[in-house]
Amino acid sequence: MTSLARFSRDFSSRHGTGAASFVVAAVLFWIVFLILLPQLAMLDVSFRHNLPRPEVGGPRDVHTLDNYRYFLFGNSGGAALNALDIGVLTKTLVAAVLVTVLDILLCYPIAFILAHSASGAGARLMVIGLIVPFWINDILRAFAFRILFGATGVINGVGLSLGLWDQPIDFIRADVALYAGLAYTYVLLMVFSIYNAVETLDRNQIEAARDMGASWWRVHWRIVLPVAKPGIASGATMVFMLTAGALAAPQILGGPSNLWFTQLIYQWFNDAGDWARGSAYATILLVVCLAFVFLMMRIFRVSIGAIGR
Amino acid sequence: MNRGVGGGLFAFSYTLLFFLFLFGPLIIMVITAFNSSAFPRVVPWECFTTDWFGLLIRNERLMTGLWTSLAIGIAVVAIAVPFGLAGALALADIGPRLRAGLYAVLITPILIPGVVLGISTIVFWSFVGRKLGAGYDTVFYNGLFLTLLGQVAFIASYAMLILSARLQRFDPTLTEAALDLGATPGQAFRKILLPFLKPALGSAAFITFLASFENYNTTVFTILSGNTFTTALASKVRHGTDPSLSALAVIIIAVTLIGAMVQEAHHRRRDLLRGGRPERSRLYANPLTRLLTHPAAILLILVGCTGAIIWQASHHDAQACRADILSEKQRVQERLLQEQQQRMQQRQTQTPAAPTAPSNNPSPFGGAFNPGSLAPK
Repeated sequence: MTSLARFSRDFSSRHGTGAASFVVAAVLFWIVFLILLPQLAMLDVSFRHNLPRPEVGGPRDVHTLDNYRYFLFGNSGGAALNALDIGVLTKTLVAAVLVTVLDILLCYPIAFILAHSASGAGARLMVIGLIVPFWINDILRAFAFRILFGATGVINGVGLSLGLWDQPIDFIRADVALYAGLAYTYVLLMVFSIYNAVETLDRNQIEAARDMGASWWRVHWRIVLPVAKPGIASGATMVFMLTAGALAAPQILGGPSNLWFTQLIYQWFNDAGDWARGSAYATILLVVCLAFVFLMMRIFRVSIGAIGR
Repeated sequence: MNRGVGGGLFAFSYTLLFFLFLFGPLIIMVITAFNSSAFPRVVPWECFTTDWFGLLIRNERLMTGLWTSLAIGIAVVAIAVPFGLAGALALADIGPRLRAGLYAVLITPILIPGVVLGISTIVFWSFVGRKLGAGYDTVFYNGLFLTLLGQVAFIASYAMLILSARLQRFDPTLTEAALDLGATPGQAFRKILLPFLKPALGSAAFITFLASFENYNTTVFTILSGNTFTTALASKVRHGTDPSLSALAVIIIAVTLIGAMVQEAHHRRRDLLRGGRPERSRLYANPLTRLLTHPAAILLILVGCTGAIIWQASHHDAQACRADILSEKQRVQERLLQEQQQRMQQRQTQTPAAPTAPSNNPSPFGGAFNPGSLAPK
């Protein structure tokens, strides 16, 4: 609190009292009412029973671990694990990692080319070419992949007519369409994250390494990658979180029997009307994802300050 | 260029493939918008048609959702940009020890899944509403209000990132100079800092509007029973598709391309003027071509061309072609039916087969295809 007071005093002497009170009020409102309290409220509800409205606040409205117990054990009462829901969560995380790695592999060369090979009009054209596809709504992008991968879609059409396979392949059920669509959606984020980092690399370092006889992969491994690492970490964090939290793409592109964890949350919340259990599942998603990201940051020695730069 | 560091041919072909991946789905979607087939596809090509655009505009749910989305978007810009500005200013001036913590707090809304933000927003505000004894018709159960709050929570972080990047290049001695010369702190803020941030404020407003308009994950919860453009679109895609969505994509892509071209013209012109020698450029020697390189002129030309195409296309009539396709389909169906009947007849040769009835044949070509002429010999 004292540091806050000192901050506002310093700030108002530099920018005026009006600006200072605006900054303090806005930031406090943002943090407290839009970020902190809603998360706490969700956490609180996740520990409660799903009661009809008149009973809320009554004697039966107590805290409980039921919702989390349900996630772990289902209706079995502790005898067996809830393989279905835990499986969905695991699959979502694995798929999100897969999509993230795919995006890193796809985007690293492009970011490097954009930063160090392309110049002038070519580079500007590349930037426009990167941005234009991302003006189109998420939903429409998923729709495009459905046209592309559907049973009568373009890829099946081409494959069948070339004789590569003789039965239409169900890409939707195999989740190929979903992974491709998700990877596509977050390409832009990844490219610009890596680009921002790689761009700071001094070209002379590459030249020097080449002059001393390093092979091209060695140049990338020893010189470019260390510079790109914060960018890759930042991009990977965002892509992973967005992929794990994606709802529209799995709803549109997901196979009928393969659920994404966010779809479970959606079902509990909107279809079953069980806010408590929906909140519990949302909390589980949030905690597991954040824990995973922090673990990865620890392993790769990246700080949170690198994100979004 | 890049001696051996993945330069040359490899870089070129990789870039080509990459952009093929980016644009392929869009190109295919655009093509399906003009195919009359009721299911969006490229092959088999049926007829060139512009009817899907009409169907799109007549979709009432989407159109009311569009107005809701616009209203929410404007409100989000009006709140998220000032919040982002406040966050960026606080980050710039706070002590180094607190800065990392504040940055982590203000960046988390971007990392929190949108689903979680949406749920937490409605849970919290319905809790507040219940504590205050408010009814269901109050602001706490209003989809627009909740969507606004849920979206601002993370979109303000985008604005903050954009403004922070610009603020890092601000020279604080400018403010100090203004203060030394007798300006009040408020004057220095309004006359020095805000004008410096103006371009970033513009792009922040733009990005926040776009983010609000496109958002689905948070909005689908907070809008409650209402609809924004994006949620209406999503429910349309989930419950059966038709090419009117492709038509929507065509419109968005066209607008984007026009915007990109005008922006590029603006950049080139600015570079040329900044280069200090606009007279030497051949385009600038002639007053007519100089006028034509102005971004506004380019915008006018592009909009004019698009208008002409739309006018032309709205007079295109696919009826005749559609009718042909329909009769073709009927013919094929007819033939299949008759082949089947033929087989049935052959199978039960003992029993007298029911004769096929060409008299009540709906196909205009019905008489031409006698069962006998098509029967497998």
